[in-house]
Amino acid sequence: MATIELVNLTKRYRQGPHTITALDGVDLRIESGDFVSIVGRSGSGKTTLLDLTGLLLRPSSGTVLLDGAETAGLSDGRRADLRGRRLGFIFQEYNLLPALNVLENVTLACRYAGLDRREGRQRARQLLDLVGLAERLNHGPDQLSGGQQQRVAIARALVNRPALVLADEPTGAVDTQTADELLGLMRRLNREEGVTFVVVTHDLDLAGRTDRMVRLQDGVVVSDERLNAA
Amino acid sequence: MREIFSNLLRRKLRSTLTVSGIVIGIFALTTMGSLAEHFNSLLDIGVRYAGAAIPVQAPPEQQGALLPLSKQAELARVQGVSAVYPGYTVQARPGGSAIQLGAPDLIVNQQAGAEQYGLPGPKFAAGRNLAPGQQGEIILGPTIAGDLGKRTGDTVNLPVKPPGAREDFVSHPFKVAGVLTKNGQTDTFAYVSDADARMLLADTLSPTVRSAIDVNTVAQSFTVFPTKGTSLNEMDAIAARVNEQVPGVHAQKPSELVANFKSAGSTFTAIFTGAAILALIIGGLSVVNTMIMAVSERIREIGLKKAVGAHTGQILREYMLEAAVIGALGGLIGYGIGLGLTTLLDVLGASSNLDIFLVTPRLTAIALGFAIGMATLAGIVPALRAARLDPVTALRSL
Ligand SMILES: Nc1ncnc2c1ncn2[C@@H]1O[C@H](COP(=O)(O)OP(=O)(O)OP(=O)(O)O)[C@@H](O)[C@H]1O
Ligand SMILES: [Mg+2]
Repeated sequence: MATIELVNLTKRYRQGPHTITALDGVDLRIESGDFVSIVGRSGSGKTTLLDLTGLLLRPSSGTVLLDGAETAGLSDGRRADLRGRRLGFIFQEYNLLPALNVLENVTLACRYAGLDRREGRQRARQLLDLVGLAERLNHGPDQLSGGQQQRVAIARALVNRPALVLADEPTGAVDTQTADELLGLMRRLNREEGVTFVVVTHDLDLAGRTDRMVRLQDGVVVSDERLNAA
Repeated sequence: MREIFSNLLRRKLRSTLTVSGIVIGIFALTTMGSLAEHFNSLLDIGVRYAGAAIPVQAPPEQQGALLPLSKQAELARVQGVSAVYPGYTVQARPGGSAIQLGAPDLIVNQQAGAEQYGLPGPKFAAGRNLAPGQQGEIILGPTIAGDLGKRTGDTVNLPVKPPGAREDFVSHPFKVAGVLTKNGQTDTFAYVSDADARMLLADTLSPTVRSAIDVNTVAQSFTVFPTKGTSLNEMDAIAARVNEQVPGVHAQKPSELVANFKSAGSTFTAIFTGAAILALIIGGLSVVNTMIMAVSERIREIGLKKAVGAHTGQILREYMLEAAVIGALGGLIGYGIGLGLTTLLDVLGASSNLDIFLVTPRLTAIALGFAIGMATLAGIVPALRAARLDPVTALRSL
């Protein structure tokens, strides 16, 4: 099963004459089926870590291993393929396509991965049922509340049965109660579908309800504790 | 696909303006193009006629004079000539309506068998050819048939007696043997036998002239055919020999006629090219503008698509397809309006023989292909910009 290994991962941004080290030699191993939260102050490098893990960004040095396989040498196309087949993304801003309805948004990844359409639609329906939006398949994103849109995004992230879902502040734009519901939903999918989740959050309460909490500070992992979420 | 239409609908005003830009361009292209196609088709036939036969008439200083029919044998003896036909032309509707816009309806003698020298043969929409040696029969071009309201098997009295004609105006009954298909060149012609043509010619002569000559010994012109496939240069040489060896006639060099047609053709081609450039500028710029705006307002979407696994090539294809759809939409509408307008104008003009547009399959293909090709081309740069976006930069924009 899928494990993700970050080995001595470093990312530097060049800004004029200065170089900002956003991530500084991070080593992290995430086991399959885990539910991990990443916390830290603003600018500590959480998003950079997630983007590197999600193969959206190339590290300055170090590497990401997916199931033990090196990803550093892969072409952009191969990395896109891996993202489409093995990874799912959830963003703070939902990022649904306004031109597509709920069902089409969820099946978007199938379009690029060249997967069977009928199967993709069936899977999407099943997931939308799971997130409680079975009745809204043909609605546009602008007809949904923020929490509902994020649930569509969660379904979208899971449609290709990814090994790992990366969520960058998925509850950052909704109220506490909705945030609670969304986290509950992700937990449930984590258990029922066996999908690994890595969730970046500012909310320590939410982080406290995950299996493992990794704390970043100035691009370095300063604590990594296993929690006993009830 | 649905995404493309949905995106177009989400920006109704902008899409309408863009599509309108293409519509204007393709409309201009279609109307100018059908005008050019019409004249070029006439010119093509003209070039074919001019390249197949040498017209012989009275010398310029006695323009319009009748020629002795005996010249036919003299012309036939000139080296390189394989056939000579006398020519007769009379008005089918003399002194008709005051102003006539299109070509006049004419009755001419049929040059039977001229096909074998390279002229297009008659094509029948209905009926058959004139029976050889038979008088009193007529073949009608489609336009003149429409003007006269006659069909195959009908009897028609020609020439048509104009209102207020003299007492002694004569018409003769002809049986319509066949009606020709439309070809843009001979649609206003009616064909009769040589003998009938001479009879009709006699009726147009003043009584003094008529009593002075025997109409059966004259011709208004001659058409001289070399063997089929003779080059234009050799035909010019034959024309020169005619002018040298046969007194009292003038042969025109076919190359001069062909050159006239060709230079007229290049004028229309220039007009058509102008319309194409207009279409390119108006349509192309509006597509470029729209696609640039579409890409910049959808940067986040592009980032998201890349995050969920879209390749650069897939994004490129999506945006090119979107541009092509805009082009196809504008092209179809513009072509449709152009087709509608030219057809309408031709129908309205039909009563006055004013048929000036010709929408050919070639023009249809050019107009639609041009619209789609131009839009796709205009979409390339914005689409490349979209496709090359770095996913993280795109996702974090705004
Ligand atoms: N594209 C970039 N160019 C230059 N510097 C960048 C870029 N992206 C991030 N940084 C810098 O890298 C550091 C880490 O940024 P990152 O976005 O990973 O932090 P974060 O923990 O996600 O913060 P937040 O909680 O505010 O989202 C910051 O100092 C940031 O300014
Ligand atoms: Mg962040």
